[in-house]
Amino acid sequence: MKGMRRASLVLAATVLIVVGLAGAGFGQSASPDEKITFRVGLQNDIVSPNPFKACCSAEYEMMLLNYNMLFGFKREDLTPVPELATECTPSSDAMTYTCNIRDDVMWHDGEQLTSRDIAFTYRFIIDNELSVFTDYLPYNPTFETPDDTTLIWKSEEPTFAPTLPPYIPIIPEHIWAPLDGKPAKQIKGFENIPAVGSGPFQLVEWEPDQFFRMEARPGNLFGTSTIDEVVYQIFQNKEAEVQALRAGQIDYAYDLSPTLYKSLQGVENIKTLHDSPSYYTNFAWNFGGQGPDADPHPAIHDLALRQAVAHATDKQAIVDVVWQGAALTGDSILKPSNGFWYLDIPQADEYDFNIDEANQILDDGGYTERTPDGIRIDPKSGEPLSFDILPVTDQEGATETAELMKGWMEQIGIEFKLRPVSESKAYVEWEAGTFDAYLWSWGGDPDPDFNMSIYITSQCLGWSDGCYSNKTLDDLYAEQRTTFDKDERKQVVDEFQRVAYEEVPEMVLAYPQILSAYRTDRFEGYVRSPADGSPIFAWRVDSYMNLKPVTAATEDSGGGVSAGPWLIGIAVGGLALAAGAVIMKRRRSEEDEA
Amino acid sequence: MTSWRYALRHVLHALSTLVFVLAFNFFLFRLVGDPVTLLTRSSLHLDPKEQQALREELGIDQPVPIQFVNYMGDTVTGELGQSFASGRPVSEVIGSRLWPTILLVGTATLFSTVIGLWIGIRGAWRRGSAFDTTSLFGSLVFYSMPEGWLGMMLLIVFAGALGWFPAGGYQSVEPLTGFAHIADVLHHLFLPALTLTLGYLGEYAIIMRSSLLEVMGEDFVQTARAKGVRDRDVRRRHAVPNALLPTFTLVFYSFGFILGGAVIVETVFSWPGIGLLTFQAIDSLDYPVIQAVFLLFSAAVIAFNLVADLLYGYIDPRVREA
Repeated sequence: MKGMRRASLVLAATVLIVVGLAGAGFGQSASPDEKITFRVGLQNDIVSPNPFKACCSAEYEMMLLNYNMLFGFKREDLTPVPELATECTPSSDAMTYTCNIRDDVMWHDGEQLTSRDIAFTYRFIIDNELSVFTDYLPYNPTFETPDDTTLIWKSEEPTFAPTLPPYIPIIPEHIWAPLDGKPAKQIKGFENIPAVGSGPFQLVEWEPDQFFRMEARPGNLFGTSTIDEVVYQIFQNKEAEVQALRAGQIDYAYDLSPTLYKSLQGVENIKTLHDSPSYYTNFAWNFGGQGPDADPHPAIHDLALRQAVAHATDKQAIVDVVWQGAALTGDSILKPSNGFWYLDIPQADEYDFNIDEANQILDDGGYTERTPDGIRIDPKSGEPLSFDILPVTDQEGATETAELMKGWMEQIGIEFKLRPVSESKAYVEWEAGTFDAYLWSWGGDPDPDFNMSIYITSQCLGWSDGCYSNKTLDDLYAEQRTTFDKDERKQVVDEFQRVAYEEVPEMVLAYPQILSAYRTDRFEGYVRSPADGSPIFAWRVDSYMNLKPVTAATEDSGGGVSAGPWLIGIAVGGLALAAGAVIMKRRRSEEDEA
Repeated sequence: MTSWRYALRHVLHALSTLVFVLAFNFFLFRLVGDPVTLLTRSSLHLDPKEQQALREELGIDQPVPIQFVNYMGDTVTGELGQSFASGRPVSEVIGSRLWPTILLVGTATLFSTVIGLWIGIRGAWRRGSAFDTTSLFGSLVFYSMPEGWLGMMLLIVFAGALGWFPAGGYQSVEPLTGFAHIADVLHHLFLPALTLTLGYLGEYAIIMRSSLLEVMGEDFVQTARAKGVRDRDVRRRHAVPNALLPTFTLVFYSFGFILGGAVIVETVFSWPGIGLLTFQAIDSLDYPVIQAVFLLFSAAVIAFNLVADLLYGYIDPRVREA
């Protein structure tokens, strides 16, 4: 029992150390922190502070705050508005744009931002093949800077790329120039902390998978914010994020599940909100052609089959069951957040949920023979209509949606064999073309160009989901790229959306809303961009610039939980237990000796 | 069998296991998928030429046998490569996660061992008492309870509803130094460490209890009692030391898992340790990190098993002679 006694001593010593540390810690942390910190809970950390490794929403939010772009987005409809450029005037052939650049913007390190920095950024991306941004700089552009406030963008073909606008953060030449011409690995390996930019906040600290901190930088072109810093805290699960919001450890919880979102409704000092959907979930057919291993079912090329599957898919049920109402039913290949460009397909033209009609279409299409199991047989290939379907498990709702669809398909003699895959495995399948369809999702820019490009023949193994090819869509895509009148372009984009809907290369199943919640007792002044959009992770910085602490906010709700008192409580409890154990031990010893 | 032959046999066995693990890890993770495809679609959007350049850069353009030889050579020389996902040296990535994991799993293992053994000894010695019945029930409940669920319940109650502890992370976002920082880390440590401690201690308690019950029926214990040795001394000097042998193996086996982290608990509490890193590396097919983590994990288990085997042979000569 000597070991046990020693162990008890170790435990007691540990408790005592904790008491000491907690006491000391409590004493130090008692000094008030006067910084106004806005704390945001996220599930995804930035991949890197380096903008050329940008991947997902966290990096784009960081870039939005840390840098400026040539043009920004208008709050009302996310159309382009001046940012670093006050205006860009195109030549009559739309191959040359002359842009006036502001002369009152400074880098975070005090240097002046000039047109040369903008030209450097674009050349740097093209010359060093930094592919995350190259799509924004089409037709081999060149850039001239006759003076500090003029940028001349010349393109080999007519384009509206300069005012699209290019979603490219402008970087300072004096920081990045030494990396020009270096291998991409070295450029992307540049640590970039503190990240010198010209935006209203600066990334100053990053603890991977814990948090990243952005400090306010007054004197930027958006004005001066009341908050001193924004800290994004990373949670590995949504439940923990919600609990942190409930306890006041964070001020804003971004991207919640419908269940957790509902659990916060009606909770005191918490407001829930959902934004205009900015992405869609899809069911994408694979048309093959990726490579020698590609083996999609031949019947996928039959429009009648695709239309029958569309009629047998109850999108409203998907919204109700999978998304618990926190989504809109899908139709167009653009999203409602595309605003002006989005076409709400008229109900009369939609593939309504109608099992009888789906069966009729298949009967008319010659799919009348069936296997003993009741599965229809493709009259051309003789193969049963049995499809290899990949729900991508990283995509919320994909597996549940696939299960629902499987049930509906059974009613029209089609078998869905579900093969759930992780996102990493899905990329492998996608490249090889070894599947019939998958359920995944797409986001995209406010401008429709990117989302339309997904359906273009040349994007097979680029952005295309299943190597779909349709000359009408190819032509419409090319036409919208050279249609410079906004309303005329809108007509072309609308036609593209109509054809993409009718031909069903994929089905847009739902437009899920981003569900968030924030504490009303901490900050006020949230601004949604656009009016039904998200206050943060939008396309603008309005909320960050407009937030003000709620006057009545108490000290308790301002700083999360304090370590000291609770550690002391734990330590006292531990000591009480240890004391109890000693008393009992003595008593027992006396009994033994008695 | 002589002592040195016993030791040599176990050392050689440990080394051969390590080499097998090295080879197994290399081939196993390459069956999952191509990391360049992953990077191409998710972030980089490269054309085939750029993809090939990236393959060359990552050293995965060569035939698998050559990759394997390079991998073995690099590992022996301590060169673990660079993370595909972050581009940082693997040793740096793992190094930044090692301390949080040692702190969390080490603390939980220490507390669960001490408390678990105490419960097991006390329960067995007073078999059938209220303490024994209650502690056995509690041990079985915690032993069978999924750690993820237990952690989530503690998080909802103590972090969300009561607000006593942070809902996640290793430290507060406020910059703290010195003792304030240490107190802050301990504050964050409490709930994940409590979850793991409760999850582990049932196993120790149950095994210690059954082991001691078995020993209590042995002749030497009866003899000691018959000689009039005090009950406390029978327990401390005769019963418990003999009953500790199977528990001893279990404890060392658990020490081996400390470096492997606790994937589920680290994920529930957003604790930035090796367990969470493993989950993230597998998800992004970050081969160099996966290989290094599994190597570290395997090496730790093998090393602690070796130590347990050697000490076991020392403590119990019957094992050495077998």
